[in-house]
Amino acid sequence: MLGQIMLLVATVALLHAAYSTYEHLSHLKALGRPEGSLPNDIVLETIAALFLAIVGATVRSPPLREVTWRSEMKRRAQEEEEDPRLSFSLFAQRAGLAPKVSPASTSL
Amino acid sequence: MEVAFSLQRLAVYKPRQSKKSKQTLDEGLVLLGRGAYASKGEAGWDALEKLALAALDYGNTEVADRCLKILSDKFPDSPRVYCLTGIRMEATESPEVVLRYYDELLAEDSSNSAIWRRKANVLRQIGKIDRAVEELSAMLDTYYTEVEGWLELADIYLSCQQYTYALQSLSHALLLSPQNPAYFLQFAETAYLAEDIPLALKMFLQTVDMTDDDDGDMTPSDSVPTGITLRAWFGVKLCTRKLITEPRAASSSPSNTPAPIPSYLSALDNLSTERLRTGYLDIKHESPPAAEGDLIAALTTLVK
Repeated sequence: MLGQIMLLVATVALLHAAYSTYEHLSHLKALGRPEGSLPNDIVLETIAALFLAIVGATVRSPPLREVTWRSEMKRRAQEEEEDPRLSFSLFAQRAGLAPKVSPASTSL
Repeated sequence: MEVAFSLQRLAVYKPRQSKKSKQTLDEGLVLLGRGAYASKGEAGWDALEKLALAALDYGNTEVADRCLKILSDKFPDSPRVYCLTGIRMEATESPEVVLRYYDELLAEDSSNSAIWRRKANVLRQIGKIDRAVEELSAMLDTYYTEVEGWLELADIYLSCQQYTYALQSLSHALLLSPQNPAYFLQFAETAYLAEDIPLALKMFLQTVDMTDDDDGDMTPSDSVPTGITLRAWFGVKLCTRKLITEPRAASSSPSNTPAPIPSYLSALDNLSTERLRTGYLDIKHESPPAAEGDLIAALTTLVK
């Protein structure tokens, strides 16, 4: 939330600085001296908008994921549906631990 | 890359009525009625394919036909569409017709491994196991890296109780995908069924090692085994029990795996019993039965 606000504020500030620059330059053109330098506050506003945007984008990033295969496998095991071929009941039947169910009812 | 992945998905498709496909079907029907798919671009075609598969999950061939028609109009010569057509035909036509269709497709373009897989599937379903095995082996000779293919082959062998061949197929799957603990578990259970107890023990312990969360916040003695870890500990218990009660099992390993020395074996037995009791307590919130046989029988119903 905070990150989004910061990004929004930074965008608005940047647009405002851009518009101010345009106005300033047309002001200079109207006065007949088109090579004046930009006023300091516009430059400051732009740099501040840059910093705010960087911080806001960083704060807004989604939580980092683990690097190890182990954690990736854990995440996938929770998301994916169980493959019926790897089910425990099949093993238990074949090992004689559980009573055998008739072949018609076990899925392929 | 995307094509290969989706072809793989089509190759292993089996009608399964899950909640997710019901949801896809309901949402998709609404969109289909409004003709919204044509305007969505790339994602739209993927979604149409998913909708067709979801419709076939529930036997709704009419919706599947409509999706198929839209897709085949747009992509007339695509291997994915051919595969989808084949899946659609499997739902209603007789197996011989489907087999002939797949044979034609393979004669034209033998690089479509998904079609080959589906052909082996159909052969297995009509009971021609030996032909299915032949086809699948030929396909795997050509496309070694299809992990799902190796798993399917292992499953066929397991259903015919050819445990050694199943072990060989699973070892290829392990080579291809060594980070997936489920395949190690499958290998361990198959080794147990093949009476190679030391190998099974080794593999069960590998699975525990892979899935146990030892960099979590609890010390190992406090952590509770769940899910695949519990299942692996159960396997360890079965193996240690067999090794203790039948010393002959320790020396007759077809893969020449050495069994653990007796002091390690009894320590392992105690550890696995303790782990199983912790797991039982966690699931059922009551004290587990003391006798070994009862504990194993109780856990057989609890382990998923």
